Amino acid sequence: MSVDHAHTAHHEHPDAVGSRNRLGVVLILVADIAFALSVLFVYFYLRQQNVNGLWLPKASDTAAATTPVAVAGAWYVTIIAALGLVTHRYALLGARAKNQTQLKLGSLLALVASVVALAYQVILMNGTSFTITMGAYASCYFLIAGLNVMHLLFTVFIALGNWNRSRLGIYVADHWHVDIVNVWWIWMTVSSLFGAFALSFK
Amino acid sequence: MTTVTNRPASAGPSAPKKALIERLSIITGLLLGIVGAVLAWYLARTFLPVNTDGSYIKTRMDQEVFIAMIGWFVGFMTGIGALIGPFRWLLGKDLTHDETLFYAGKDQGVKRYFRYTTDHKVVGIQYLVITMVIFFVGGVLAMLIRTNLGHAGGNWLQPQTYNTVVGLHGITMVVGAIIMITGPFGNFIMPIMIGARDMAFPRLNALSFWLVVAAVPPLLSSIWLGGIPTGWSAYNPLENQAPPGMDGFIMAICIFAISTMVAGANITATAVKMRAKGMTWNRTPIFIYGVVASVALALPVFPVFFLSQVLSGLDRATGSTFFDVRGGGSPWLYENLFWIMGHPEVYVILIPALAALMEMAPVFTRRPLFSFNLAIMGIAGISGLSVLVWAHHLYVSGWAPLLNGPFMLTTELISIPTGMLFLVLIGTLWRGRVWITLPTAAIYAVLFNFTIGGITGIYLSDVSADAALHGSIFVTAHFHYTLMGAGLTSAIGALVYWFPKMTGRMFDKKLGWTAFWITQVGFNIAFMGMFMVGLAGQPRRVGAISAFYDKGNSITTMGAYIIMTGMLVLLHGVVVSWVWGTKATQNPWFAKSLEWSVAYPVPLENFDVLPVVTEDAYGYGKAQS
Amino acid sequence: MSELETTQRPSWWKRSDAKKAIFLWVIFTAIIGYTASIIQSRAMGSPASENMSNTINMVKIFTWAAAPVAGLVAALTITTLLGQRHFGDNPPPEAEHEIRNSPRVAATWVVVSTLLCLFAVIYGMVLVQADENKLRTANPINIDVTGQQWVWNFKYVDNGGAQSADLYLPVNKPVLFHVTSTDVMHSFWIVQMGIKVDANPGYVTETGTTPNKIGVYDLRCAELCGLYHAYMQKKVHVVSQADYDAWVQNQGGNA
Repeated sequence: MSVDHAHTAHHEHPDAVGSRNRLGVVLILVADIAFALSVLFVYFYLRQQNVNGLWLPKASDTAAATTPVAVAGAWYVTIIAALGLVTHRYALLGARAKNQTQLKLGSLLALVASVVALAYQVILMNGTSFTITMGAYASCYFLIAGLNVMHLLFTVFIALGNWNRSRLGIYVADHWHVDIVNVWWIWMTVSSLFGAFALSFK
Repeated sequence: MTTVTNRPASAGPSAPKKALIERLSIITGLLLGIVGAVLAWYLARTFLPVNTDGSYIKTRMDQEVFIAMIGWFVGFMTGIGALIGPFRWLLGKDLTHDETLFYAGKDQGVKRYFRYTTDHKVVGIQYLVITMVIFFVGGVLAMLIRTNLGHAGGNWLQPQTYNTVVGLHGITMVVGAIIMITGPFGNFIMPIMIGARDMAFPRLNALSFWLVVAAVPPLLSSIWLGGIPTGWSAYNPLENQAPPGMDGFIMAICIFAISTMVAGANITATAVKMRAKGMTWNRTPIFIYGVVASVALALPVFPVFFLSQVLSGLDRATGSTFFDVRGGGSPWLYENLFWIMGHPEVYVILIPALAALMEMAPVFTRRPLFSFNLAIMGIAGISGLSVLVWAHHLYVSGWAPLLNGPFMLTTELISIPTGMLFLVLIGTLWRGRVWITLPTAAIYAVLFNFTIGGITGIYLSDVSADAALHGSIFVTAHFHYTLMGAGLTSAIGALVYWFPKMTGRMFDKKLGWTAFWITQVGFNIAFMGMFMVGLAGQPRRVGAISAFYDKGNSITTMGAYIIMTGMLVLLHGVVVSWVWGTKATQNPWFAKSLEWSVAYPVPLENFDVLPVVTEDAYGYGKAQS
Repeated sequence: MSELETTQRPSWWKRSDAKKAIFLWVIFTAIIGYTASIIQSRAMGSPASENMSNTINMVKIFTWAAAPVAGLVAALTITTLLGQRHFGDNPPPEAEHEIRNSPRVAATWVVVSTLLCLFAVIYGMVLVQADENKLRTANPINIDVTGQQWVWNFKYVDNGGAQSADLYLPVNKPVLFHVTSTDVMHSFWIVQMGIKVDANPGYVTETGTTPNKIGVYDLRCAELCGLYHAYMQKKVHVVSQADYDAWVQNQGGNA
């Protein structure tokens, strides 16, 4: 008996679907924001406590002192992410203006930015003078960097899908997917900024 | 990754594409999960470098266990079909209309309950069954605990076994209680109640359920991996010391936290965006408010729990020192992270439970809900305050003695919105025509139990009284009064209330009433006894007791066996009623909310024609002249 | 709707169900308050310090403050059951009113619960402050307490650093415990003195009291600390000053 009405879902206006999906993504972002803020809490709490003076352990007989990383690297990641955001925004404007070339180009650039940011973040993590076991600062650094890597992996997936779908011309009719990906790019940039901000306090 | 194998198949022509979806079920999920776990474990065993840097706690064993469990997780989710959607999106080949219908479980009979089915009614039934399974396991564990404490000396169980049993009982019951309302009724009933065809994100709905299933094997595997001798709170540094069973606990919590987040976003978006035409916020049933408050509260707090377990896992597997003071970590950090989730979590359990009661109260008194606005204020007040009270679990930790005062204030303030919900319930019973049914009995029982649970909470919220009572079994009795006496009793009332809509049959009255009285009497015997020994100074989580506490513990154990009897009768009642019960009419309670306007079995998309709402669901009673 | 209620009905206290409820309220309050406070003070035993006697008093006062609340809930719910009950598969006729709200009742309820809540908070704060002040102004004996799986160690700092696995305290002398742990978290709890503080690795926490009765009391670990948590117990000996001095010297310290 439901067969006749099974099609009704398809009669929903794309805007309604889009706005519902947007809300869903924002709600999931609430969870991710809570997670990222908790990471900041961990960083600043351990830094303030400095239990046994081991936030940044001094040199001992067996190990050299832990030296904090140069914070510029973390800010570069944020800057690359921001570039990704800008290029994606460019793509979005293209989609809104029904300019498929601009959409495809912007999506591709955003994809490149996400890959570059990911690669750069991984290089940074491999270049540290300490390992995760060397004190609370070291643990926290890898936590923040690791969170960035997770976010960027996800960004690469989304940016890849977004570019592929743009390329296939799926966003000719409606483009709420592109809008939502923009929401994610904003949060990606902000979360990376959070990390760089925290790491600025050694 | 195993997901790659999906791509050639799903990228092929349309006939085999559909065949792949059809082939996936819980069986392929389990198979791929086991293959993934074994493969990951083998790779880890072969290729992981030997641990040479001499860090404090990192062990290869933990790394292998984690990697194997991640292998299980990825394999299972692939096998059940969770990754098809995202990869189809990536490839730009969105699901066709037929495929969406297949996902919704169209014309699949019983099979759809074992698949990645998106229909909210299927997910609701799946949640109902898994909740009962979880409670059954938790109940068996509870009986082990009580049997061990039946007489002085204890030690029927080995200490390590006992501690593991306590921890597993805690976590299974907490997980069960978190999903017991929002899972079955939030999924099955809520969309119909608001006049929607399905949830906002049907695929996320299936995802949230199968994530719960995916979390079970890691949790149970902990039994064979040395146990979780830490209690469910898993305080560090004890968690660091624990055997690899702890890794199973950590993994299960992480998966469950993701499930909660997904379900939270889905249910909230559904309630906000999918309400029927004319269902303004003033006309939205109070149950919807309760469910949304619960999941929306879980949304920002469960990630903190997730983080606490990620950090514990990192400490164990990589040798980081977030919680280890030998490397500059802090156990207080763990306590804070844990309780920032831990206290809102009890309201995640209680708010929808009380909201279900408020939904039922007008039906069974044939009068409108008393003060709808007060009910909303109460729910909002509890939700808002609950994120500000966590440190009352840390009064005696020495964490920040100066903050004890402020946290005592916020904690006790929460009694005001809680009192509002009491007034709403009592006000609705007052001068109504009380129709004596099982759900009605649940309302009375909850008012009774929750009064006791709430008032004992006031003692615990007081800093100097807490210095005497914290860590004693008084606390255990207190939260059982709230979570079991109030929460679980509400859930059972809700089950009986919505049973006709979910199964098409009435809940067997005789069995229901027998179970109700046995469990309520047993419950009060058991936990009154526990209050006594707690006041007298028996600590929590001890596997052996001195003769001084013998009498109180014997009473509690006796009560526990009575509860067990009652619960078995209830379980029997569920099975008997579900299979052989009398067929229910469309609206056996003569209620006015929308879910009773559709017949059983509820069709795939619920409504032929979407309803238009012109008034709220509480228009009972007749004006007095 | 509330206008309807106020203008057309007899005063609420003249109605029979209200009378019944008030009657039951008084009875229940008395019964609940009396039995609960008796049972509580019996279960909590006889106190061995002012902290504990304060706590017991507070529990009793809270109970008497809560008894009317519990009594009211019980009285109102039972009154509703005494009224128009209905059994069977078909619903009862609709209730004879459709009251959806009563601002007066709601306001009263909220104001009263707020007052009760504020009473609890203020009383609690005063008590915490009193304990704190007593501890700070007195000149206490300092004892370092170290928890480890699954024993306690005590160092009598003011008595030449004598160390012992036994806890002896002189009666009527304030004592301040500096508590820490060498491995996992424990919680230092002297049951009859009503004091408790966690023993955290890496941190030192403090708690103190003045034992006021000679006798033997219970020291327990109140935080799950692993395998033998249940057995991490010890007796606390409160003795006279002379006995204490003798005992300390026996342990190699000075009195």
